[in-house]
Amino acid sequence: MSRPPLWRLAPWTRAPLLGLRQPAAVIAVLVTSAILACAVASAPLFLSAARSAALQQQLSQRCEEVARPQTGVDSALVDEQGRPQDGGDGSTRPAADESLLEAWADAGLDAEPVLATARIGSSEPFSPGIEVLGPDGAALSQPFTLFQRPAALDHVEVVDRGSGAGVWVPETVAGQEGLSVGDVLSFGDQRAPVAGVYRDLAVANADDRYWCDHRLLFSNEASANRAPPAVLLTTDEPTFYRLATASLGGAVRLQQVPVDASALSVSGVRRLLETQQRLIADSGLPLPDRTSSAPAVAVPNDRLAAVVDRAQLIQSGLRGPVVPVAVAGALLALVLVAAAGSFWADRRATEVRLLAARGVGPVPLAGKAALELALPALAGAALGWTASRLLIAGLGPADDLDPAATTVAAWAGAAAFVVGLGAASVVAGLRARSTAERPLGTAARWPSRVPWELLLLVAAAVCWVLLQSREAIVSVGHVAQVNGLLVAFPLLAIAGTAVLLGRGVIALLPRLRRWAGHRSPAVFLAVNRLTAARLATGTLLVAVTLPVAVLGYTATLTASSQTTLDAKVGVQIGAAAAATTVTRIEPTAEVVAAGTYLLRYDGSAAEGAAADSTTRGRPDVQVLAVDPADFAGTAFWDDSFADASLPDLMAALRGPEVDGRLPVVAAGLSLGDPDLRLGSTEVPAQVVAEARVLPGRRTADPVVLVAADRLPEIERSAGAARSAELWVREDLSGAVDALAGAGAMNIRTLDPAGVQERANFLGITWTFGYLSALAVFVGVIAVGGLLLYLEARSRTRVSGYVMARRLGLTRAAHLRSLVVELAGVAVVGSLLGGALAAGAVALVYRRLDVDLLRPPTPLLDVPWSALAGSVVVVLVVAGLAALYAQRAADRADPASVLREDA
Amino acid sequence: MSAGGFAGTGLVKRFSRGAETVTALAGVDLHVDAGELVALVGPSGSGKSTLLALLCGWETADEGRLSYLGPLAGRSPVSLGWPELALVPQALGLVADLSLADNVLLPARLRGTTAAEEARAGALLTDFRVDHLADRYPHQASLGEQQRVAVARALLLRPAVLLADEPTAHQDRDNADRLLDAVGAAARAGAAVLVATHDELAWARADRVLSMRDGSLTDGPPA
Repeated sequence: MSRPPLWRLAPWTRAPLLGLRQPAAVIAVLVTSAILACAVASAPLFLSAARSAALQQQLSQRCEEVARPQTGVDSALVDEQGRPQDGGDGSTRPAADESLLEAWADAGLDAEPVLATARIGSSEPFSPGIEVLGPDGAALSQPFTLFQRPAALDHVEVVDRGSGAGVWVPETVAGQEGLSVGDVLSFGDQRAPVAGVYRDLAVANADDRYWCDHRLLFSNEASANRAPPAVLLTTDEPTFYRLATASLGGAVRLQQVPVDASALSVSGVRRLLETQQRLIADSGLPLPDRTSSAPAVAVPNDRLAAVVDRAQLIQSGLRGPVVPVAVAGALLALVLVAAAGSFWADRRATEVRLLAARGVGPVPLAGKAALELALPALAGAALGWTASRLLIAGLGPADDLDPAATTVAAWAGAAAFVVGLGAASVVAGLRARSTAERPLGTAARWPSRVPWELLLLVAAAVCWVLLQSREAIVSVGHVAQVNGLLVAFPLLAIAGTAVLLGRGVIALLPRLRRWAGHRSPAVFLAVNRLTAARLATGTLLVAVTLPVAVLGYTATLTASSQTTLDAKVGVQIGAAAAATTVTRIEPTAEVVAAGTYLLRYDGSAAEGAAADSTTRGRPDVQVLAVDPADFAGTAFWDDSFADASLPDLMAALRGPEVDGRLPVVAAGLSLGDPDLRLGSTEVPAQVVAEARVLPGRRTADPVVLVAADRLPEIERSAGAARSAELWVREDLSGAVDALAGAGAMNIRTLDPAGVQERANFLGITWTFGYLSALAVFVGVIAVGGLLLYLEARSRTRVSGYVMARRLGLTRAAHLRSLVVELAGVAVVGSLLGGALAAGAVALVYRRLDVDLLRPPTPLLDVPWSALAGSVVVVLVVAGLAALYAQRAADRADPASVLREDA
Repeated sequence: MSAGGFAGTGLVKRFSRGAETVTALAGVDLHVDAGELVALVGPSGSGKSTLLALLCGWETADEGRLSYLGPLAGRSPVSLGWPELALVPQALGLVADLSLADNVLLPARLRGTTAAEEARAGALLTDFRVDHLADRYPHQASLGEQQRVAVARALLLRPAVLLADEPTAHQDRDNADRLLDAVGAAARAGAAVLVATHDELAWARADRVLSMRDGSLTDGPPA
């Protein structure tokens, strides 16, 4: 059966088919709807991705065990009479441990037991140690911690091994206590042989991920003088239970579920935590409470929940700036969708004019537009949602998106479809009606003359005033967050000013037209085209200005905040990286070759005349004894730190002493020439140069640099807190090896990743990343607007071109006129955008201090190459658009154009 | 103004409309001398506009020969500039982004003779009673006013050949007479003028009338 003619179909069937007969309008609505849906759907997806990234970033910086859900029991292994609960020697796995392992298995997760006579698996590791008797029956000289974990003996360096069950002792303990394999140790009433000797974990396995979570069992990083209890590794679970029962009567027993931390999403972690919580609740064990003295308490993984809370905190901090940005992007996209509706009315001009002339009102015309445009709008919304999903997964902070966020994004896309179709239809209806009703030659309506953009500027001013009484960067739970006002203010100001400037440029166009009357035909035609379509010209100008301004603003602030952050980290560390130790060492040739070696003293200072014998009232000072010969070559430095260069400052340290005072370079010291005190040693000093910031400043205390070879020997007996530091440009592991080779113990390292992680600047980085994405997005909108501009004016352009060719216009002159027209708008838009960005940056960047506690204050870093690239892209797009328009004009058939276009 | 005329012999033009081939011109013989005003009449769809499009170079003949005479001899229509060949298309072809005055002056501007022609452009606008609309854009004027501007633009450089497609279609009688007076004056000044028209009063002013029907041309008004 053949299909009935189109005009006999029902309206709801006929309209979509009619709509498809206008491919340009269909594509315009489809693309603009996709942009709108993408803008709306990207916000929840971005927030979800940021939360996942925050989670994974935190987990990647921590020990693997932090990501593991766990249950655990901290309880006695003996009954009230002190007898083992199993009625035997205590070697049987306790019922509570067994049931928890089974509960995990029932939940579909395999847990492994980790046992210790110390508090492990929580945020507060602690071990007082147990007493062990040697083969001769005398107590060994140090306390011990018993530890049992699957495959632990595969992660030690074996010094000596025997066979059978027993305990493995560290090499240093074996040497100090005279123990060897086969010697029998006593743990209360139980005995166990030394089954093996392993190299001390602090020496051989300090960087082994397996021991990461138990590092504090063998390494006291806070002090070189107080070693933790030695770790005795049991060969098997029964031995651990037996010895722990006999020696301490209790132990911490964990059931940990290994997981792949790199693949965890927040919702996945929440499910794991819910299971953890349920199993603990089912076990009946109370949670740890400092005020209670319950005989048995649960040991949940409280660190994983804290990580999730932190990720949630970062997400919450992002919501403030991201939501206004998304709304701004959506509003811009909505304008574009509405323009597509107007474009539809132009394309269907003949029919809608006829309908309007026959009395069809704007509402039915809007309904007709809605029916015709529904299919492309729906397809566009689906496309936009898919694009936002792919873009966030591919370019966002993380590719793990919570299913809930995807659902929210889908609903947002559906809302975008409804709102977008409504806007396009309403505009199409109004446009169609006004085209028919408006008399020839009438002036523009008053709403188009009202400077509505002043409302944006007023809103920006309100944001600015509010911002004066608030911090631009706030720290919530040690997570740096951008105040939403800091994002809203420049966006509103840039948008309002861009429109206002666009209006101003429009007002100047008639003068420009008079000027162009004396120029070449190309310039004359270009300027007249711009002048004839003043609203379109102004819109296009604003569409170019906005993305350039927002991109310039965000790129500059992103680069500046990153530079500032790098500088803060560099100042904090002192160089690209550093290794420190509190061990007193003599620097070897390897140490000197690895970087710049210096000593840091916690001292105090008083002005020469005010010095007294006490430290009361003397401000604390960090004194860095450096080698002026190589310090400048390694230390982190920015020229904004001082009026002189770092080599010049180092040269000043080489100057002569005046009145027996040692020349020093100071930062943050408000005194004159100070008397430094390092412990009990007085060092009169003279400030020969000052800097606003000096590398190595890690606290709010002033920093003083002094030449190490001129500083008097500070004896240990002087009591000055001292650390040795090796600053390097890149090879941190070499520095650690060099210090270890010189005899340093408990070497700590400082690198940018660790410092930045502790500072938690992720939210700031992502906020500006999202803003940059908005700028690119607005750029896409501008390109879409440009194409709509060209398409909407293509008929008049083509007919004008065809006739002008007959009148004597050359093809080259016409192409030049197109280039002048489009590139002119692009250049003016870029200049205005650049000026707006510069103004916004100047107002804001000083307030963008990502960490008020750490110097330096914000540094300005303009990413010239990125900005130049943006301008080049704008000009290339303008050039391509000119070629596109020329090609369309070239393909026109003059005879048909000038016969039909009446 | 350089004198000239044009002649066509056996001009044939066919168009494809789907599977169907439409013959718009079926062997047209035509001759218009310099100083002659010729009216081309015939019903809609008879081929008048196709013939004008062919004469100005927007179409090419499938068969036959078209030649320009006198100083224009040997030149193709595409190579003829506005002073040699001007036209008033049915759709007028005003440049929408230019004011009416700039539209009239555009041929001179493209030749760098704006200043020299400004006075004549003003006079034409005045003669055609659209001088008060000089600064308006085409869409801000009525269709009749636009048509008078299109004729003014065609006459600006005193062309050797003038082709006009329905130049009085949207005019009242008074303005139609003004346009025909101007076109007639151009012919008397030596231009070869061919005007496609349904206006019977225009026939009366023409030196000759050619009738077109179904792509064929005959001398004299239609029966």
